[in-house]
Amino acid sequence: MSAVDPITFSIIRHRLYRVIDEAVITLKHVSGSAITNEGHDLMVSLYRADGSLLMGGVGFLHHLTSAAEACKAIIRRFEGRINEGDVFLTNCPYTAALHTSDVYLVAPIHYEGKLVAWSACFVHVYDIGAMVPGGFSPDSRDIFTEGFSSPGLKLVDRGEMNTDIMDTLLNMVRAPEMVALDLSSMIAANNVARERMVALVEKYGPVSVDQACQSLVDQSEQSFRDRLCELPDGRWESRQYFDIEDETYRVLLAMTKNKDTLTFDFTGSSEQSKYGINCAYWASWGGFFAPLFPLLCYDITWNDGVLRPISMIAPEGTIVNCTRPAPISLATVGAIQSVNNAACICISKMLSASEKYAKEATAVWHGSHFAIFMFGQNQKNQEAIGIMTETFGGAGGGRSFADGVDVGGEIPNPIGRMANVETTESHFPVRYLFRRATSDSGGAGKYRGGTSLEYAIQQHDSPDGGIHYVVSGKGTKFSMSDGLGGGHPGAPCNFRWVHNNEAALEGKNINPFANSAEEMTGEQESISWGVFPLMDRDVLYVRSDGGGGYGDPIERDPANTARDVREGAVSEMVARRIYGVVLDDSGAVDETASEEARAVIRNERLGRVEAAK
Amino acid sequence: MGNSAKTTCVVATDVGGTCTDTIVFVPGEPLYLGKALSTPPNFAEGVINSICSAADSMNSSLANLLSSTSLFVHGSTVVDNTLLTREGACTGLITTEGFEDTLLITRGAYGRWGGLSEDGIKHPVATERAVPLVPGERIQGVPERVDYKGAALREIDLDATEEAVRYLIEEKGVEALAVCFLWSFYNPGHEQAVRQVIERVAPGTYVSLSSDIAPVPGEYERTSTTVINAYAGNIAADYLNNLQELLTGEGYDGPLLVMQGYGGLLPANEAAGRAVGMIECGPAAGVIGSRFLGQTMGDKDVIAADMGGTTFKVGVIQGGEFDYAREPMVDRFHYVAPKIEVVSIGAGGGSIVSLDPRSNVPSVGPRSAGARPGPICYGQGGEEPTLTDVMILVGYMNPENFLGGSIKLDFERTRAIFREKIAAPLGLDVEEAAMGIYRIAAAQITDLIHEITVERGLDPRDFVLHAFGGSCPLVCGIFGAELNVKRIVIPYTASVNCAFGLVSADIVHEYTVTKTLAVPSHVEEINAIFDPMIEQACTQLSEEGFDEACTAYDWSIDFRYGRQVHEVTTPVRAERPLNEAGLQALIDDFEALYERKYGKGSAYRAAGMEMTMFRLTARGLMKRPELDKLVLGDTNASGARIGRRPIFVEAAGELVESDIYDFELLQPGNEIIGPAVIHTPITTIVLQDKQTGHLDEYRNMVIEFDCGGRKK
Amino acid sequence: MNVRISASLVVNDMGQIACMDCGHEFGPQGKPWKEAAQIDEAPLKGSGGHPYSNASNILLRRFYCPGCAKLIDTETALHGDPFLNDIVKL
Repeated sequence: MSAVDPITFSIIRHRLYRVIDEAVITLKHVSGSAITNEGHDLMVSLYRADGSLLMGGVGFLHHLTSAAEACKAIIRRFEGRINEGDVFLTNCPYTAALHTSDVYLVAPIHYEGKLVAWSACFVHVYDIGAMVPGGFSPDSRDIFTEGFSSPGLKLVDRGEMNTDIMDTLLNMVRAPEMVALDLSSMIAANNVARERMVALVEKYGPVSVDQACQSLVDQSEQSFRDRLCELPDGRWESRQYFDIEDETYRVLLAMTKNKDTLTFDFTGSSEQSKYGINCAYWASWGGFFAPLFPLLCYDITWNDGVLRPISMIAPEGTIVNCTRPAPISLATVGAIQSVNNAACICISKMLSASEKYAKEATAVWHGSHFAIFMFGQNQKNQEAIGIMTETFGGAGGGRSFADGVDVGGEIPNPIGRMANVETTESHFPVRYLFRRATSDSGGAGKYRGGTSLEYAIQQHDSPDGGIHYVVSGKGTKFSMSDGLGGGHPGAPCNFRWVHNNEAALEGKNINPFANSAEEMTGEQESISWGVFPLMDRDVLYVRSDGGGGYGDPIERDPANTARDVREGAVSEMVARRIYGVVLDDSGAVDETASEEARAVIRNERLGRVEAAK
Repeated sequence: MGNSAKTTCVVATDVGGTCTDTIVFVPGEPLYLGKALSTPPNFAEGVINSICSAADSMNSSLANLLSSTSLFVHGSTVVDNTLLTREGACTGLITTEGFEDTLLITRGAYGRWGGLSEDGIKHPVATERAVPLVPGERIQGVPERVDYKGAALREIDLDATEEAVRYLIEEKGVEALAVCFLWSFYNPGHEQAVRQVIERVAPGTYVSLSSDIAPVPGEYERTSTTVINAYAGNIAADYLNNLQELLTGEGYDGPLLVMQGYGGLLPANEAAGRAVGMIECGPAAGVIGSRFLGQTMGDKDVIAADMGGTTFKVGVIQGGEFDYAREPMVDRFHYVAPKIEVVSIGAGGGSIVSLDPRSNVPSVGPRSAGARPGPICYGQGGEEPTLTDVMILVGYMNPENFLGGSIKLDFERTRAIFREKIAAPLGLDVEEAAMGIYRIAAAQITDLIHEITVERGLDPRDFVLHAFGGSCPLVCGIFGAELNVKRIVIPYTASVNCAFGLVSADIVHEYTVTKTLAVPSHVEEINAIFDPMIEQACTQLSEEGFDEACTAYDWSIDFRYGRQVHEVTTPVRAERPLNEAGLQALIDDFEALYERKYGKGSAYRAAGMEMTMFRLTARGLMKRPELDKLVLGDTNASGARIGRRPIFVEAAGELVESDIYDFELLQPGNEIIGPAVIHTPITTIVLQDKQTGHLDEYRNMVIEFDCGGRKK
Repeated sequence: MNVRISASLVVNDMGQIACMDCGHEFGPQGKPWKEAAQIDEAPLKGSGGHPYSNASNILLRRFYCPGCAKLIDTETALHGDPFLNDIVKL
């Protein structure tokens, strides 16, 4: 195929980005829901006629590749029955989706009767009819209890809504009006993508646009292969542990780079779980692409060209490629995070092996991606279902030149954010006792990991005396945010049910304004998995995991540690013990004592403790 | 200016990033313009210089002009500059205990990616938060708690408050204090109690309370706003005092009115207490100027586009109104204050043209050569081709006669470098490559404006385009045609548009009350919210000397659907007090506005509606300058034709020999048929094929699309 | 000339993996090097401040340079799990 001229190419490329932007705006506008507008838990992308990724937007990046698979699955299933104005739906994790709550709507784009492209989008729908409201269903032991699931259906036929299907779907979910709004917002987004894409083809002609799209993919492939060639060949390993109830799971990854190809091999990972934290094949595939796009392709258009040099080995029946009907509703806060983290470390170790790219390496950000999901009646007597957006608060990983960003988000969702306390308190019948960055949570290092969040809530003005929540805690027993280049892993998560009600019955004085976990009255029970009540004066305490550190902690500039102590990011004890930094009464670095402390640490490391004394 | 005893002049001076512009309006005379370089950080000096320059053009003196001036209107970047240079006060912050980190953790990643370009967002490893204006060690929490209804769950601990205040002032050397408690906009009592403690313990300390500065929900943005206000407050106040003294010293004895980011004026003493209100008041004044011009010309729907050296800015006026920015930022800090939405991208005359080293694909910006070294053609050491250089190569700018011949442009060197760095690697000749780059820039702007209008549910075809700035008139012919706007206007006052906006602004006080009311509510409840606001506004305007006839009150209510986050400010069209019929009409208006903005089927009515904020905009109406109409002559523009040369014509896809005109020689009524180029003292106007420009009775250049040129 | 192979290791002219800071050698390139490091394996629980206290039986392995005591690498492991080995081919 002859190439389109570079000028026209530049213009078409710019316009393709705007097509996605405008579709995202439409999706947010029509939906109006908090999770799409505040958490940006959405994605819109464009695909070529064969379903391969043409251009991915900024959203939850796991979905870019999965939605491509969704397009391809629809093409296979509906071959010969794909018409102008159709919109298809799939949310089956064994077909393409990550879990049933993430519903894909994909739509063909025709020009003068010929299929020229696809648009696809997803949102995490309000409800999908699983055992537990909202879709995260820790009590499910198979996919049959995880709600509605379709490998592919035609929701809109030549512009006409298939109301039988729509009504059936809405008949199976809680708050059907909200789900209807989610679906209509995705239809509207696909419509805008189609209108704008058709206008583009009209202006520049189908041949030019097709050539430009082809070049866009080819250029990404060439740029990515060139970059891989600049990096050394090798094989890097990482390992993630996580815990559900009494079970321990491993995700093992060996990433091999050979010339201009990259293989992700998950051989040795745990067998699939009875809990819904499994990944199906496409979730694992998207799971390592989510960090790969921003870490290796930050200046390359995210499309099928990036996918071509990559292969994956994920043995069937494992936690990274489970077999139907294994449960899967918590994949996105479950095994997929371990895939993210393992890939982040392997990629970063490869980057660290290159003089040119070492600055692109990072320790793990926000490894556990803990989620607290609330449901119940709120103070306005409305049904309230939704995620506590602190999930998106995150914690940055340390880098070769700077600390991880405190409460700085995560890599797979580059534009996440959390809601204000005042927003959450007006939607849910809860009151925060505190919400702050956690001292000593960031992994130690020459550049320390970002601190995590800790917060505590109790019910407030709830018509039912309280509300329920789902905890899908992992990373309470293990650190999931690995360090890099000698950096320590970030601190584990912690979830506690503070039994103030029982304490009150025992006649104890309850502190309604406890400013820390230590100031709380009732017995503190560690929890990590399942559905729990938050009634009356009981408190839920949550601490997320800190970011991984980078480099040797005793190489850290002591002045930075002094600042950390002043601002509460690091305790004086950790400063002295881990960083070998001693402060004087004014909080300034005691140079002599610090040098001594670091000498002692060096001696201890080499087992020369006695000699030093 | 004839009789200096008459004190009827209106002087407006706008401090911009580079220049400080002045407009002097004298009834019955043409507008007088003044220009001087801005002089940060002592901006007042540039202001005086600029007024002097205007006085010169009137053959008058500074003292003469000021002593015959009845009104001085002013817009300044002093607050923006304080933030940019980080030269504000040593500021401390007092919060609710347990929430001390709210400012620092910026709602998670929001403060890390906010304000970044898409390319920046896609590269998270390279991103950081802005260094906060208040570091963690100067933040103190005090025990107190108010809930979502405004009920005080825990009374404020005044001893702990005093301890915190003393610690910050005595131990940390704090000069200004910001106070932000949870839910204080429903119940400001605790914040006010802190102010009393500060006044007792450390009188003279600059204090900003969030319940005064930004009484709206969302503690992160509210805290950030309050901190900005405390940080820049003293500097803004000192600046305005100093300016007032300087003006008084030169014989001026009228009021000093100061432009706000929401497009209204405030008396200097009020503006001084709300530094945050002055942020980005220049671009806001630009939109106000555009609105006034639109009203003069009978156009209520205007896209105001300003393209200078580094940025392209767009404001949208619809039905004579404009939107406020939903999530405004200044220097990567979020804040919340009513501010006219002006969207900008890094595209200007100085934008650097580059080729992707891997794919050879050309792009324009976002890097800019700025004023130094500037474009290659300026001959100040610029080595990278910019959009301005491209304008020369496609024949639009005359190297011999740039800005009235004040600067000679180096054509040969521009050509040589462009050939080496851009054209040759692309395998194109210089003109082909330059034409291509020009098309890319125009397409990027088209995409931006399209996206902005889509975001508001608007259709650009319903709008008139105003093209401001040194670079916009060179490109607007192409993107205006692709967007299919009604027509393009290049205003006569384009070079001093912000100052022009100052002259056409009113005194505007914005009042808001945050309160959630279900729909339907009793109209008495709504009236009970508005009545005290209006009473307060009446008193304020009357103290400022406005007769009732010269005031106007616009009231509006923010509505939303129960389960959706989008809030729509809905103007109340009914008479006061509101009755049931008026409320029903208001609700209908909301529903119509919602669907227009967010699309058909976007409303989820089953969850009901609620009112979340009650707004009053009180205007003290200023006397508008009456622009004098000139007499229209005939259409023949041949008297202004100064030559012919090849210029890029998009429809032809090549350089075509075309007529060149001198704007100064054109007479009102003259018509020019494109393709053509018109040189003005401040910019160059390009007419594409099938476009006709005529000079109207206000000396604005109006570009119409010929039949067939405009699709519908 | 030394060629970088990780955040803290290089391969030197002799084809040996070496400490980036002090040059201490860890064995031939292309082979696992961790056995040649000074290894410390201790409960993660005690390796940091208070937030690490709820870690279970997970271990933090620290690999130090025997030459200069630099912390070269870390990994977490359950008792008995093998070292993570990274091989860079030059």
